[in-house]
Amino acid sequence: MTYGTTDMTDNKAPAVEVRNLAKHYGDFVALKNVNVSIAAGEYFVLLGPSGGGKTTLLRTLGGFHKPTRGEILLHGRNVGHLPPDKRPTTMVFQAYALFPHMTVTQNVGYGLKVAGLSKARIAEKVDYALEQVGLTQFTHRKPHELSGGQQQRVQLARAIVLDRDILLLDEPLAALDAQLRKDMCLELKHLQEKVGITFIHVTHNQEEAMTVADRIALIANGDLVEYGRARDIYRAPQKSFTASFVGENNMLKGKVAQSNGASIVVDVAGAMLQVDKRDLDVSDGQEVTLSIRSECVSLDRANGSAAASDGLSMIGTYDESVYLGLTTSHLAHLPDGTEMVSRVIAGSDDTPPEAGAPVRLSWKPSDIRLHVE
Amino acid sequence: MNDYDNIWLHRLKWAYLLLVVLTLMTPVIYVMYVSFNANGFGANEYVFTLEWYGLIFSDELLIGALGWTVILALVVTVVAVPMALLSAKYYKAADNKLFPIFLLLSPLFVPPDILGSALLVFFKNLNLVFIWLGDQIGTSLFDSWFRLSFLTATIGLIIYTIPYSFVVILITMGRYRTEQTEAARACGANGWRAFWDIEFPQIRAGVFSACAFTVILVFNEYTRTSLLKGGFDTFTTVLISQMLNTGMSPQSYAMSAMVSFVAIAVIGSIILFTMLRAESLGRIARAKAEPVMS
Amino acid sequence: MADLSSHAVSGGHPVDADKAPWRAKLVPWVFRAPLIFMVMFFAIPMAMTVVFSVFERTMFWMEPGFTLFSYENFFFSARLTNFLSSMKYSLISVVICFVLGFPIAVFVRKSIPQVAQHRVVLLFILPFMVSEIIRVFALRPVLQRNGLVNSTLMELGLIDEPITALLYSHTGVVIGEVLSFLPFIVFSGFLAMEAVPKYIFEVCDDLGVGPWRRFKDVILPLAAPGIFAGSVFIFVNGLGVALLPNILGGAGAVNAGLIATQAITALDFPLAMAVSAIMMATLLSLLWIGHKLFDLTKILTPLS
Repeated sequence: MTYGTTDMTDNKAPAVEVRNLAKHYGDFVALKNVNVSIAAGEYFVLLGPSGGGKTTLLRTLGGFHKPTRGEILLHGRNVGHLPPDKRPTTMVFQAYALFPHMTVTQNVGYGLKVAGLSKARIAEKVDYALEQVGLTQFTHRKPHELSGGQQQRVQLARAIVLDRDILLLDEPLAALDAQLRKDMCLELKHLQEKVGITFIHVTHNQEEAMTVADRIALIANGDLVEYGRARDIYRAPQKSFTASFVGENNMLKGKVAQSNGASIVVDVAGAMLQVDKRDLDVSDGQEVTLSIRSECVSLDRANGSAAASDGLSMIGTYDESVYLGLTTSHLAHLPDGTEMVSRVIAGSDDTPPEAGAPVRLSWKPSDIRLHVE
Repeated sequence: MNDYDNIWLHRLKWAYLLLVVLTLMTPVIYVMYVSFNANGFGANEYVFTLEWYGLIFSDELLIGALGWTVILALVVTVVAVPMALLSAKYYKAADNKLFPIFLLLSPLFVPPDILGSALLVFFKNLNLVFIWLGDQIGTSLFDSWFRLSFLTATIGLIIYTIPYSFVVILITMGRYRTEQTEAARACGANGWRAFWDIEFPQIRAGVFSACAFTVILVFNEYTRTSLLKGGFDTFTTVLISQMLNTGMSPQSYAMSAMVSFVAIAVIGSIILFTMLRAESLGRIARAKAEPVMS
Repeated sequence: MADLSSHAVSGGHPVDADKAPWRAKLVPWVFRAPLIFMVMFFAIPMAMTVVFSVFERTMFWMEPGFTLFSYENFFFSARLTNFLSSMKYSLISVVICFVLGFPIAVFVRKSIPQVAQHRVVLLFILPFMVSEIIRVFALRPVLQRNGLVNSTLMELGLIDEPITALLYSHTGVVIGEVLSFLPFIVFSGFLAMEAVPKYIFEVCDDLGVGPWRRFKDVILPLAAPGIFAGSVFIFVNGLGVALLPNILGGAGAVNAGLIATQAITALDFPLAMAVSAIMMATLLSLLWIGHKLFDLTKILTPLS
């Protein structure tokens, strides 16, 4: 299977390579200095809060923004100067991007018509693409007669019918309701596996990101914070931002009390906590952040003799519990006021401690992570 | 209207609105009424006739003027509407919007006689400058460029009509989502193709309305045209100078009524057309499945 | 999939880097062309009125020089009195237009369904589309001694003698101005009311704010830029449309537009230019004051 790579491009080169990319709007810096490489055939997700620059990055790849500085190589070819229609990319937008005066068939066939294909060939390809996205009905309807999910399917078909190498998706599911979004996530993933081209998908929804992504990049404040496999981003975040954005992490601020050895000691609100140094460069007295995912924290009533200093637990004060269906979150706070959350599978009928009772929060050595920034 | 509002008060407000429209139209309607009277204005007896209209069409001066009017209206429309379209596109993309909007809308605020006089003196001087320039190089090629003529009248009327077209087109463009242009670009269409295939069909109504407006404005305009035209007359300039010199004759009633009929027919049909279209679109939309996003 | 992707569609094809770079450079200028045209044939001529106004008058034309004779001619003669009184009557027309027209804009925005609003406003385009001058001329038979208004009133027995003050008087000019410019206050009021969200009316009802307080404390401040723009339009046109006093006015009804056209007819071009320059100065200072007071760029929000 050849995925539309042309003679000019290098098949061994990554699908996307971004070097020192910056985008400024006057004084506003939308992208600072982004470097990233995306392999061909990968499902890559740009995840981050709104206004963080992920959409700017995607649109710059697509040719809708001119970079202020830096290079964009698609399959080894520098495309920084090319308009969208001259790039090997195509795009799926959040909403409103279907041509309202054309039927579904005409929408999907538009790119082929522009490329000058014969009518028969267009019809054949359009049918195939619509079949791929599971939309064989309604082909003679206009966009406003379709549901939101159907509209996004049409957009997908319109994009994949072009056989471009790279598909950019700008918050494609953001306008859909929660249940539909879940279904469409899986469909997107399967579609990408079927057509095999590179998908680059922007979202602010981490569940969506985890569902579809081979790899995730976190983008905030115009910076590419961190990128890696979805599992690693969740389980072993390198940066404290990642930990605070992905999953539900307890973030503890503290000072390094002892920095020698593979495991160091950090003073958090008077408790001495042990944490793996992970070859990070730390010195005594340095301010650091620790993260522990809420489902890894267990909460027990503290039995009289407080302050057990095993380095893997703290004493806090119980606040309340929040029942969330599948899980229950127990909220407590530390002596310095930091909120802690312990999340457990709901169902145990244990009565929670009363508010104000002392509780012990503990975890396994592998669950706590050190972040230095 | 609110559920608790007084229905009669609501109807009263509607009645007032329609009364105002009617009052605004009264002079025109009255002129139309008089124009069909064989005995003219102020007569005790009303006898229906088309005699006065017949007189217009047998008047060669008027028919000639009518010809000039049509040509002028067409030329101004063909130039001004694309200019307004380009300006609207420019305005949408511009970072500094104040300068273009000021330049494009301020002709609305300059009264006709002031704009006409300023342009008249400007063109006369420009003409002298061009003649002088020609003399310096030894050519008479530039001599008639800015002599008062069809060209100067066209320029004056373009300046007069551009604000209207600009606003009408801008308002229709407001409903257009730029994502669609981007989607077309992502489908491989170049800038022009994306505009022509995707954006234009959606703003077409605005562009056509702008054309109709421009034609009517040019047809109606007296002050600017009469100041800037050279040796030709338009229908309105003939009519008004007749009325200014000899007062209103039965024939001038017929001419006024005719101009009004044409304008009302054009605008009326546009209103009717947009209403019917909106109505039918609404009906289709209601009949079909409710879209999740709109 | 394989057979369908045998060749990529567009995208990814190499482009000739040197393919007509002049065309790429030309395109932005095509979009600027209308603005350049407006600068050349509108902004510059309007600015040049100041220059031409100080030229020396000759028998049939004018010649470069510097004299304030035209301004003297304007400010130290009956022209100034006429100009000032036309300002007064123009202001009266603005107030009447506002009182008659603005409630319509509020009513349309408040009580008519969104989809129908534009169509109702379109009704006011209808009279506006009939030549202004024909409408003004048509007022003569309506307002005349034996015209429509007088004969109707006499037939109804409301008056015994025809009212003669309706035409060839300042009243006539004001009536003409109101009938000519009323649609504009409806349009600008309609645009201005875009700044007043519909829920405001519900909030006011909820708080028990009466219609007058609602108008004074909420609608007026929010809609001020649009109302001001509409008022300036009417005011300046009342000063500048020569045909209104010419056709409907009597003795002493002379506005700036009429002074300018009379000067042109009398071949006193510098005077015409001085009047134009004074009008431009009036217009620009009004707009400037309005901008300082209300930030007129707000009117354009619905357009951008």
